Amino acid sequence: MLQIETPPPHGGRLIERVVRDPELGRKWAKNCAAAYDIKPTLSDGVPIRNVYREIMSICYGFFSPVEGSMKKAEVERILKERRLLNDWIFPYPLVFDITEEELKDLGVTVGDRLLLRLKGKPFAILDITEIWRIDDAEELATKTFGTPEGNPEVVQEPFNAKMPGWVIYKSLKPVVLAGKYTIINEPTFLEPFDRFWFPPRKSREEYARRGWRTVINHQTRNVPHIGHEFLMKDAGFTGDTEPCHGIQVNAIIGVKRAGDYPDEAIIEGHEAVNLGGYIKPERHIVTFTLWDMRYGNPLESMLHGIIRQNMGCTHHMFGRDHAAVGEYYEMFATQTLWSKGIPSYGFPASVNDVPYGLQIRPQNMKEFWYCPVCNEIAYSECCGHTKEKQKFSGSFVRGMVAEGIFPPKVIFRPEVYKVIVKWWKEFGFPFCNAKYVKEKEVRLEVDLPDMDI
Amino acid sequence: MSKFMSVLLDDKRMEAIKGSGLEEKIDKMFGGALNAFTLELSDDKAKEVMDAFFSARVDSRGFITDVPIAFSRTLFEEIAKAKSLGDDVIDGVLARVDEIKEAAEKESEFLPVPEL
Repeated sequence: MLQIETPPPHGGRLIERVVRDPELGRKWAKNCAAAYDIKPTLSDGVPIRNVYREIMSICYGFFSPVEGSMKKAEVERILKERRLLNDWIFPYPLVFDITEEELKDLGVTVGDRLLLRLKGKPFAILDITEIWRIDDAEELATKTFGTPEGNPEVVQEPFNAKMPGWVIYKSLKPVVLAGKYTIINEPTFLEPFDRFWFPPRKSREEYARRGWRTVINHQTRNVPHIGHEFLMKDAGFTGDTEPCHGIQVNAIIGVKRAGDYPDEAIIEGHEAVNLGGYIKPERHIVTFTLWDMRYGNPLESMLHGIIRQNMGCTHHMFGRDHAAVGEYYEMFATQTLWSKGIPSYGFPASVNDVPYGLQIRPQNMKEFWYCPVCNEIAYSECCGHTKEKQKFSGSFVRGMVAEGIFPPKVIFRPEVYKVIVKWWKEFGFPFCNAKYVKEKEVRLEVDLPDMDI
Repeated sequence: MSKFMSVLLDDKRMEAIKGSGLEEKIDKMFGGALNAFTLELSDDKAKEVMDAFFSARVDSRGFITDVPIAFSRTLFEEIAKAKSLGDDVIDGVLARVDEIKEAAEKESEFLPVPEL
């Protein structure tokens, strides 16, 4: 069998927990024992996570087969073996956490249904099947990512307060309400997010409609410079008997850090690549997933593999320092996970070659740089002019943008740069600053219809 | 190991250094699409810059980046004044740290949008 087919969802079945009949949604909301208003998790007053994004990604099937907030036994198994209780591999604990005081005020117990409100309106319900406590959130945070002693294959430095994912887990409140989520009042996306919303069922339908049998995913949290574009183009030659039919860009949209590009510029910047014809729209699609990045490098790549397999992709490109921050992980840790496994995380072989593993195939890529001798964008494993190479440093490019210097075509396509400037005018700043980070967590990416109950 | 800093040269800056003798020190980057000065910093000077600016980091090329725009602007002014790319230029910039930090505070809220 030389030809590859669309893989099944992780876990065998696509999870969809969205009530689309408003009457039924209203009826379910009415039956709830209590209501809880979702707010962002803060660390030193700065938003670091909003559980609404986890609820959205679970209920629309991005995280299949996960269906809700996890039980204690499931979290413990993930921390030990990176597996759910049904044996399918999964990297991170996902929980609905509240304070003791909030639990007391809600007065809910096992068997109750809790209404979750977002922006003051009914959004979802949580059917509580277990209430458990996190004894030590810092310990849980460290176990989530590992330690240099426990995971010597890939962890180089102890995780600390500069690692956003570690801070997210360390900031968890002590009480976990475990149980399945169901969205009962479907949110509508704000512009420009609305036209890029392709949850797994829809993306699979879209790829079937386009006749895409093979699709390679590009993970992003950046406005694409030419290095990214060539990574997409060249990795797109992977496939089976022919290059991949489609290139899916899947942006991770969530809480931002100062210095990141705004989410709006990221997704429209990628769209500009296909509108400009650099990768024609017939072969390129821009999508996103709601998730507050944990920056867990190999663990994050496992989640990315799950998301994109659920979306119907056959391949996933991975570069160096995948979803990484700082130097906590060895720079090719993700490629190690996908090529030979990381035994200390529970994977003696690639995540493709373990029981209940993934079927999406990795395409591990090295680097792209500009070579003045070749006079072209070159792949590091082809180009022999290592002394003359000029690398696409993200921070160098950001510095150039901030100085207002119009980037040459060899760095940014003009159409992409115009998108950066468009959102720069909107926010008064080319990157996320403290004001953007705070306002975004009030605005979020969605609005909700009115629902009287 | 020494670190580097890059100062990008747009048309205005190219005009400002005309006839200064600095032209021959210009690096042509990305096939001549960008002009820049590259400064090599001793360990001590690199540490001083890193310590003075919390946001500063060293990228995968060994270049100090993520300094305030005001820092880059001041660095160019000092280069033009000293007609040099040596450590004395960094000394000139570090002597103006308070001024740079004050300007950096304002630029964290707003940066002027470039004309297209």
